[in-house]
Amino acid sequence: MTVATYFRPTSVPEALGLLEEHGPELLVIAGGTIAMPLINEGISLPREVMGLRHAGLDTYERGASEVRIGATLSLTRLAEQNDVPLLRAAARRTASWSIRNMATVGGNLFAPPPAGDVATALLALDARVTLSGRHGERELPLTDFWTGFMTTAMAADELLIAITIPLRDESSAFIKFGRKEANTPAIVSVAVAGDRIALGAVDAHPIRARNAEAALAGKPRDEAAITAAAEAAADECEPFADALASEWYRRRMVRIFVERALHEQAAGMNGTEA
Amino acid sequence: MASVIVSFELSGRPVEVMVAPLTTLQSVLRNQLGFTSVKDGCRQGGCGSCTVLVDGEPMMSCLLPVEDIAGRRVTTLEALTPPEGLHPIQQAFMDNNGYQCGYCTPGMEMLTKALLDHNPHPTRDQIVDALAGNVCRCTGYRPIIAAIEAAAAAGSAEGAL
Repeated sequence: MTVATYFRPTSVPEALGLLEEHGPELLVIAGGTIAMPLINEGISLPREVMGLRHAGLDTYERGASEVRIGATLSLTRLAEQNDVPLLRAAARRTASWSIRNMATVGGNLFAPPPAGDVATALLALDARVTLSGRHGERELPLTDFWTGFMTTAMAADELLIAITIPLRDESSAFIKFGRKEANTPAIVSVAVAGDRIALGAVDAHPIRARNAEAALAGKPRDEAAITAAAEAAADECEPFADALASEWYRRRMVRIFVERALHEQAAGMNGTEA
Repeated sequence: MASVIVSFELSGRPVEVMVAPLTTLQSVLRNQLGFTSVKDGCRQGGCGSCTVLVDGEPMMSCLLPVEDIAGRRVTTLEALTPPEGLHPIQQAFMDNNGYQCGYCTPGMEMLTKALLDHNPHPTRDQIVDALAGNVCRCTGYRPIIAAIEAAAAAGSAEGAL
């Protein structure tokens, strides 16, 4: 163990102060389910680590028109809420019970693909992220958060503190397709809400399938429109190959599971136990 | 690297340990305190053999910095085991051959304890879902599921586990 100090701030201002004092070398963790495996394995050798478990960010607030989720709310608590069925479904399909008790909603936005099932659902829900830094807070649409594989628009002196979701009366669907039913990385995750389609595990980060959305816009949701959207989604993603699936296979599965998700959405299944 | 002192409750008793920063709960329990039911499996959160309960909730102790659980209540299989005989969950695993090499068993049994505390009458699907993060490399899942069903039945017969 090479870690010199493990900081455990108990407030956001304290965490931001530590971030400013120690700079970008400070590794920020929360639930630890992404960083600790790399540290245990000796792949990551941080000198200084800051844990956000006690920073007071494990909050969940339901307002009249939106839900505000603190960055370190556990996936177990996300899976228990009843305000946003799509998020409940995505959280339930992520990892395993013990991991969901530790893993956080905010952490899922930093999970390298093929992880990031909750992030994919948040993207379909038009979520916004709140970043806090020295110069105050700013809010970004989640669509502008990721800039590449494991890179984001968050500055080195900022922390992700909350995720806000507008509450809308619209049907949704979530499908995670993997090698097995549970506790597995995705080959593809598809989240559909209203007229928005998000894909996970088939690009450098979760993406909105804009061409697929365009193929559906202003058309009746018939077989032809759904097929056109599914084909557009398969064309517009940039899948990678890993131990689970080839690029070719992922692209094929995008077409199939976008089609299925749109059918499930039409059937009003809300992705509850997909 | 300055060591730090961490206090928590371990199976009903207060303990205090001196650790290097970011030491995991798994390492403290097994290597420092000799609670060898807590296995050192994958250290990736992928196998479940280090599962312990923190304030009654199952967690992977290999991913948990011990400093994060200061002041909290940790339960391992040692606490479940009575001075004489076996806990009903252990007995159910025994009766149903719910283990082969035994390496995953403590994690499986702690998961079972948490599951039955939350849900005394789980369906088979709920058992399978709860077990998703605990791997048995002897692949003896059917007897494990049978053991948990038996433990649930024994629990309802006796009132509580």
